[in-house]
Amino acid sequence: MAVHYVAGIDEIPEGTHKIVDVKGLSIGIYNVRGEYHALNNYCPHQGAKLCKGPVCGTNMESKVYQYIYGREQEIVRCPWHGWEFDIKTGKSLFSDKVRTKKFQLVIEGEKIGVVIGA
Amino acid sequence: MNMSANSKVIDVDVHNQLKSSDDLLPFLPEPWKSQVARLGIGIPDRGYPSPVSVIRKDCTPPSGSPAASDPEFLVKDLIEPFNIEYAILTGNMMDVSTMHDPDHAAAIASAYNDFLISEWLPKHPSFRGCMVVATQDPLLAVREIDRMAEHPEIVGIVIGSAQRTLLGQRHLHPIYEAAERHQLPISIHPGGEGAGISSAPTASGYPTRYIEYHTNLSQNYMAHVTSLVCEGVFEKFPNLKFVCLEGGIAWLPHLLWRLDKNYKGLRSSVPWLKRLPSEYIRSNCLFSTQPIEEPENPKHLLAIFDMIDAENILLFSSDYPHWDNDNPSKILRGLSAEATNKIFYQNAKSLYNL
Repeated sequence: MAVHYVAGIDEIPEGTHKIVDVKGLSIGIYNVRGEYHALNNYCPHQGAKLCKGPVCGTNMESKVYQYIYGREQEIVRCPWHGWEFDIKTGKSLFSDKVRTKKFQLVIEGEKIGVVIGA
Repeated sequence: MNMSANSKVIDVDVHNQLKSSDDLLPFLPEPWKSQVARLGIGIPDRGYPSPVSVIRKDCTPPSGSPAASDPEFLVKDLIEPFNIEYAILTGNMMDVSTMHDPDHAAAIASAYNDFLISEWLPKHPSFRGCMVVATQDPLLAVREIDRMAEHPEIVGIVIGSAQRTLLGQRHLHPIYEAAERHQLPISIHPGGEGAGISSAPTASGYPTRYIEYHTNLSQNYMAHVTSLVCEGVFEKFPNLKFVCLEGGIAWLPHLLWRLDKNYKGLRSSVPWLKRLPSEYIRSNCLFSTQPIEEPENPKHLLAIFDMIDAENILLFSSDYPHWDNDNPSKILRGLSAEATNKIFYQNAKSLYNL
């Protein structure tokens, strides 16, 4: 298990993200309201570059014909078929079992590190 | 499929796009030229917005022009990574058949066809084109087919499945005569259902939202295929091939079985049919793979393939750059090498004489 420093915190202000390549992996690092999260840039459906998709909110579970829009900046939508993933957990919104890999991050001073390996 | 460096692929549905309606102006005569310059092309909107938007956001060329409007970028983004030997360009103009004015529709179709052979087909050796015709005036469509069909890189005709009438009916037969005469398969493609003069997207009216609309496009295909068979199109034009693009395939066993069962009692109403309806579908209809159905148990899809003799009637399509496109290296695993080669390559090569 190793920490790979891939970006500075000043490169990823709130509401933005950056895609980094490290150890043969492509990883998207997101700043969701001040918290950093890292997701595998690979959609479990057909292998699209998930992190090239838009970051948005969504319509949450509701009663029939009711729309509750929320979770702004917390969802990334795959650019191919629109599958929605929770940036913080990597899980799809339609099934807990469908997910993309989430990586642990280490913030040391101004540097963001991704934990890769066991 | 399990792609290797040697995997051969032909993609039968690639949507080359205009940069803007201005692209057609050099190819339009008056009065249409001024009208399009003022008001745009004029294909009616079908009115179902998608939360995902139809076009993939990661397909925008570096120049910023619309997805799939830049031939060079399309080659880099699709042709090269997936080793595509031929891409059949189907464009986005097929819904001219939903326009109210048959002359306007025919003018747009002609202008697009001239644009296609001038601005796209010469740009890469993998590009082949489907010419567009509007069905409102079948004789104008025949004239257009006779005008364009002999261009060496025009390999087929594409028409929208969004229609005012079912495709088998007799007023459209002159179009089929011309297509068969020129040995051009006809592809039908969805997207305009409910727009302009076309009928409602479902048999009982207009669905409320895009998810319902998109899911039930297969309904329209079932109706068209049934019509083509029962109206004797494949008896009158036995060498004419139809390609059903983007309609799905998993409904096909149901249609084959139900139509054959009915035929056994109702044959006297279609006495011109000399074979079972399903045999006409097998001999004259092909189906593109995208959007491939994705059952929880992948073996179920293979079971359906078995029921429809899939390896001989399916053609791989990506539908680039649309949202529901398929990645050729990720779909259709579990097929034999021979079936894979046919579906991804050989069937299209034979169909289009490539």
